[in-house]
Amino acid sequence: MNAPPGPFRPEFWKSPLRGPWLTAVFGSLLLGLMTVVALTGFLSHAAYQPDLGRNALVGTDLPFTTFFDWPTGPSWLYALTQGLHVNVGLVALPVLLAKLWSVIPRLFQWPPVRTPAEGIERLSIALLVASTGFLFATGLLNMQYWYVFRFDFVQAHYYAAVVFVAALAVHLVVKVPVALRAYRSRGVLAPLRDGLAETRQESDGDTVALRPDAPTVSRRGLIAAVGAGSFALLVANAGQSVGGPLRSVAFLAPRRSGGFPVNKTAEGARITQAMVGADYRLALSGGAEEVELSLEELLGLRQATHTLTLGCVEGWSTRQTWTGVPLTELARVAGVPDAGELLVESLQPAGVLRQATLAGNQVADSRSLLALRVGDAELTLDHGYPARIIVPGLPGVHNTKWVGSLTFRA
Amino acid sequence: MKARYGSSPLHLLSHLAALALAAWALLQALQLGGWERVAIWLIGAVVLHDALLWPAYTTLDRLALRRKPAGWANYVRVPVGVSALLLLAFFPVICGKGEATYSRVSGESWEGYAGRWLMVSAVLFLAAGALYLVRSRSGSSN
Repeated sequence: MNAPPGPFRPEFWKSPLRGPWLTAVFGSLLLGLMTVVALTGFLSHAAYQPDLGRNALVGTDLPFTTFFDWPTGPSWLYALTQGLHVNVGLVALPVLLAKLWSVIPRLFQWPPVRTPAEGIERLSIALLVASTGFLFATGLLNMQYWYVFRFDFVQAHYYAAVVFVAALAVHLVVKVPVALRAYRSRGVLAPLRDGLAETRQESDGDTVALRPDAPTVSRRGLIAAVGAGSFALLVANAGQSVGGPLRSVAFLAPRRSGGFPVNKTAEGARITQAMVGADYRLALSGGAEEVELSLEELLGLRQATHTLTLGCVEGWSTRQTWTGVPLTELARVAGVPDAGELLVESLQPAGVLRQATLAGNQVADSRSLLALRVGDAELTLDHGYPARIIVPGLPGVHNTKWVGSLTFRA
Repeated sequence: MKARYGSSPLHLLSHLAALALAAWALLQALQLGGWERVAIWLIGAVVLHDALLWPAYTTLDRLALRRKPAGWANYVRVPVGVSALLLLAFFPVICGKGEATYSRVSGESWEGYAGRWLMVSAVLFLAAGALYLVRSRSGSSN
């Protein structure tokens, strides 16, 4: 059967740049970037400590992210891993588009499937492209608060990532030899020496055009243009991850205003003045008997001050100086000095993240606080007045605000 | 057997392993509330790129260069491409799509995103124009 007209015919393809070497370059760059994005994504899953209490937002049946305790140092650990996840993902977007451009003639190959091997390979590539597009689209939408997809982001993003990893692994099994062959035959960097005048077609490969046009850009020019796109996306967003004066440079970052962003306002969490007024009591349980402490009594306990970074899953962070009661002190008051676990519950009436469970190493860290003050002032209501958790390296939303009770477990 | 399948048994086994793991993850995802939407978005991601994004930019480029590849094409391609990329990635903030949710959770509002995107685009076009001017004056073949 003859190929249908248009892109199904080889003479449709005109670019003299396409070929195995160019695809290998974009593929190698993308592999490096996506490895960082995938690893930091699964690390974020681990940082939420899904094996503790009701922390799990997705199933815990994949064992590989819960076999270690999430460390408490350095305090900017989660801000770093999640900043990398979001910003390296942005940098990867133009490389992904360039990679897809370089191999798109394969999408229209005729006949579509020649052997069973090719059929199963094309199925795995369909899964790879679908999951990659899904991860980029949902990630970008989620960090910009446009929940137009109307499904649970965390779960869908997680399972799509598993599909991505499986499909990528088998893609590498098939394509790494192809890329190595291209590097061996043309050199890894040698084609970058060619300016526009020296730019010729690659000698063979199934994406090499049959009847190419004259080149309008060199390969190094195309790669540089892709790099310019990556750089622009990085500059547009990275400031919200680094914080400080760079925040205002991030001209399209969703969290560019203010030095100390609010993740969720008191109003949004349905916290009322009455809940945090003079009648406020913090309940400590887990010991022989429950202890209730007023804000004055909390202020009367040993206080500590630490400068710690709070990192959000959306990729922004803020570094503040917090003052409050060390969790070790509260564990002692509760009568469970060597607590192995701590359930923190907010006054917030509803929401999955109104509670979080901390691990023993987090309670034991001397810098983990029930913070009462930030900077030189008491907490504002939106930042969790009268008391909030701050644990170094913990994902932002697990630093529970408006803390109502602490339950220590041995 | 090898001739009929088209590749080695390792090819077959590695693909079966990957497909099994992917199928497991997809089955988990399809148990979520709104699984139809998860499925639509998975397929939609491919359609968006292969049937919309790639045809759009490739057709635009071909139309623009139809007569004769102009020596100055890249001075337009790069700033237009970067500007379009910024719009693609940051469409929700630029067009204020997530603003209602953002204001509800943060108590703040988004201001000036579309303006900053346009200003940055203007700077990119001006920079490319200036570069073209300098290079064409200095007699470079570009």
